[in-house]
Amino acid sequence: MTQLDITVRNEHHRLVLDVTGPINSYTFTDFQEKIYKAIAQADTAVVMEHVTALSSAGIGVLMTAIEDAEAAGHGFAIVKPSEIAKLAMDSTGFGDRFPIVQSLKQV
Amino acid sequence: MESEPSRRRGEESSIRLAPVPESIPAFEDFVEALPFPSTRERARLKLAGDEILDNIVRHAAPLERRRVFVRAARRGGSPYLLFFFRSSSPTAFADFAAGYPAAAPLFDPARRRWRGMGLLMCRNLAEKVTVRHGAVMDRIILAFRRED
Repeated sequence: MTQLDITVRNEHHRLVLDVTGPINSYTFTDFQEKIYKAIAQADTAVVMEHVTALSSAGIGVLMTAIEDAEAAGHGFAIVKPSEIAKLAMDSTGFGDRFPIVQSLKQV
Repeated sequence: MESEPSRRRGEESSIRLAPVPESIPAFEDFVEALPFPSTRERARLKLAGDEILDNIVRHAAPLERRRVFVRAARRGGSPYLLFFFRSSSPTAFADFAAGYPAAAPLFDPARRRWRGMGLLMCRNLAEKVTVRHGAVMDRIILAFRRED
C-alpha cells in the first residue's frame, strides 16, 4: 500500500483521526496538516492500527503534536499503533514518551 | 518516478531506484514483496531503508547515472540491506556521512516538526550500519539481527 488515507471524525467531543497506510517522507505532509489542525481545535486521538510505515518525518510530527496539544490545553493520544509504528517509535530511544493507549475507551 | 523491476535470486533481491521522493513508496513495495524476511525483520528493513533512501535523496543527490541500487539479502542467517550509489558532487557523500552517527534531534520551526531522528532510528533498528566512500561506488550497508 503506497497511499496514506486519513479520515477525521468527531466522537464524544473529541476528534479521532483514523490513519491507514504509510507515513513516510513522501506522505507525511497530509498527516502533519490534519493532526495540527485537529489539535488546535479539540482533544485528539490518532488511531494508528493500520499504519504500514512510520518514518522519522512522521515521528517528528507526532512529537510536535504532543507539545502543541499540551500548549493548547488539549488531550492527545496515539491509539493502538501497529507493530511497525510501535517499532518506529521505540527505535528513537524514547518510545515511552509517546502517549499510547490500546483503545479509544482509554482516552 | 523511474524505477526498474526488482531481480530475485534465492534469498537476495535488488531494485534500481531514481533519487527522487517518489522512490520511497517504490522501496516500501519492494520490501513488502521480499520472500525471505520474517514479519519483524521486514519491519526493520522497511523503516531503516526508508531513512537511508530519504537521506540519499535529500543529501547525496545529484547522483551519477541518476540511480540508487538497492539489494536486500540474507547472508549467514542475518538480513542485510545494501545501498549503492555515486554522488556527482564530491562533497555530497561527505555531507551525508557527516549525519552518521546521528546528531541530537532538534525542532525545526520552519518545517514545524522535530528533525534529526532518521539516522538515530537506523542505528537502533540495525545491528550495524557501515558507510563507505569508494572510488567507483559509495556504499551503505545495514546488517540486521535475525528475528523469527
